[in-house]
Amino acid sequence: MKTLKIFIFLCAVSISAAKAQFIKAELQVSGLTCSMCSKATEKSLRTLPFISDIKPDLNRNLFTITFKANTPVNLEQMSKKVQGAGFSINQLKATLDFDKLKVSNNSFNYAGDTFQVLNGAGKELDGQVAVTVVNKGFAPAAVVKKYNAAANGKSYQLVI
Amino acid sequence: MYTKRIGLTIGMLLCACISMAQELYVNTEPASNMAAKSLGIRLENQGYFKPDFKNRSILEMMYGVNRNLMVHGTAYMSNYYQSKQRFEGASAYAKYRLYSADSVQRHFRMAAFVKAASVNNPIPNQEIALEGDNSGLQGGLVATQLLHKLALSGSVSYLRAFQNRGSYEPLTRNSIGYTLSAGYLMFPKQYTNYEQTNINLYAELLGKTNPGKDQSYLDIAPAVQFIFNSVLRVDLSYRTPLTNRMVRNTQNMYLVRVEYNLFNLFN
Repeated sequence: MKTLKIFIFLCAVSISAAKAQFIKAELQVSGLTCSMCSKATEKSLRTLPFISDIKPDLNRNLFTITFKANTPVNLEQMSKKVQGAGFSINQLKATLDFDKLKVSNNSFNYAGDTFQVLNGAGKELDGQVAVTVVNKGFAPAAVVKKYNAAANGKSYQLVI
Repeated sequence: MYTKRIGLTIGMLLCACISMAQELYVNTEPASNMAAKSLGIRLENQGYFKPDFKNRSILEMMYGVNRNLMVHGTAYMSNYYQSKQRFEGASAYAKYRLYSADSVQRHFRMAAFVKAASVNNPIPNQEIALEGDNSGLQGGLVATQLLHKLALSGSVSYLRAFQNRGSYEPLTRNSIGYTLSAGYLMFPKQYTNYEQTNINLYAELLGKTNPGKDQSYLDIAPAVQFIFNSVLRVDLSYRTPLTNRMVRNTQNMYLVRVEYNLFNLFN
């Protein structure tokens, strides 16, 4: 019986994983140090339908976010939730499964948004790769400026 | 650009006089706002023992409208001006965040605030206090710098007193208020979870001066704060004058407050 349960669980994991392009993300929030502030931010993020779990590191103000397999991830909403809690995203590093994305010219579409890997030239974009979003609202001003990233929520710029 | 430059100047001034916290100040408001769509409920009692024990109870509701705007609504009840406890009136407060510069574990913020109060009390005091004593308006600016476990904040405001309900004329019409607050996160030294009790220590300077009159004061208000479960906050404070040339209720006053936060109430 127990074996069967584990078997079913494994099946469920592999079926859902087959659709997941966005797997997880490390989200570092800037401007806070108190646990009450972190809690407000986490609770705000948890209202998003595509987030399945959040593990906070309160000392580094880092949230490790796991995405639901079958719900499209919307990065813009994550930025809005953090800002709504009164803070900003310092870094958003998302782990993508490039095997499940159609990449051409280091660019791909996902859930209506366009993503461009800025430093993707000459790199193998396959398997699980962690990318950092460098758009305004997702990175400090200096980083946004460095990559000259657009402030458009429909078009994201990523670096590996 | 202009606000940025003022912000920078005030920020540098604040940094120059480093003392001690976190920015959930007990006697003042920081430039930061509550989380949007969250509700904070405060129950508070403050008072003094001389010449007689008098105390005021306060119910305050705070709401984060969006990331830049938060509002408070407050009701006051006391026996300050008669022997029995009586409902005195209410005040409304709004704070708008004008400027934010965030980086990891630090930020600098500026906000503008306005407060309006309507109360029904006689006016024996020279101080204009919109916390239950006077009907009036207050407007000001506040700047807050967070540096990891230390938070510094300063504010300047203008207060205008009106006739209190019941046709009581104020003794003073105009006043300038200023505050300087410092807070320090004492515990936990290292975070492990949200359930850990936080202990913050505060030292706040609270001053007012009535222009054109020889009426002013500067109080020091030490405070200790406990935050349980990251949602329930308990504040204890006592203010006492460093200088005092103003007739008022607020000298040598204790404050006890419980605040409960409901995050993401209206999503």
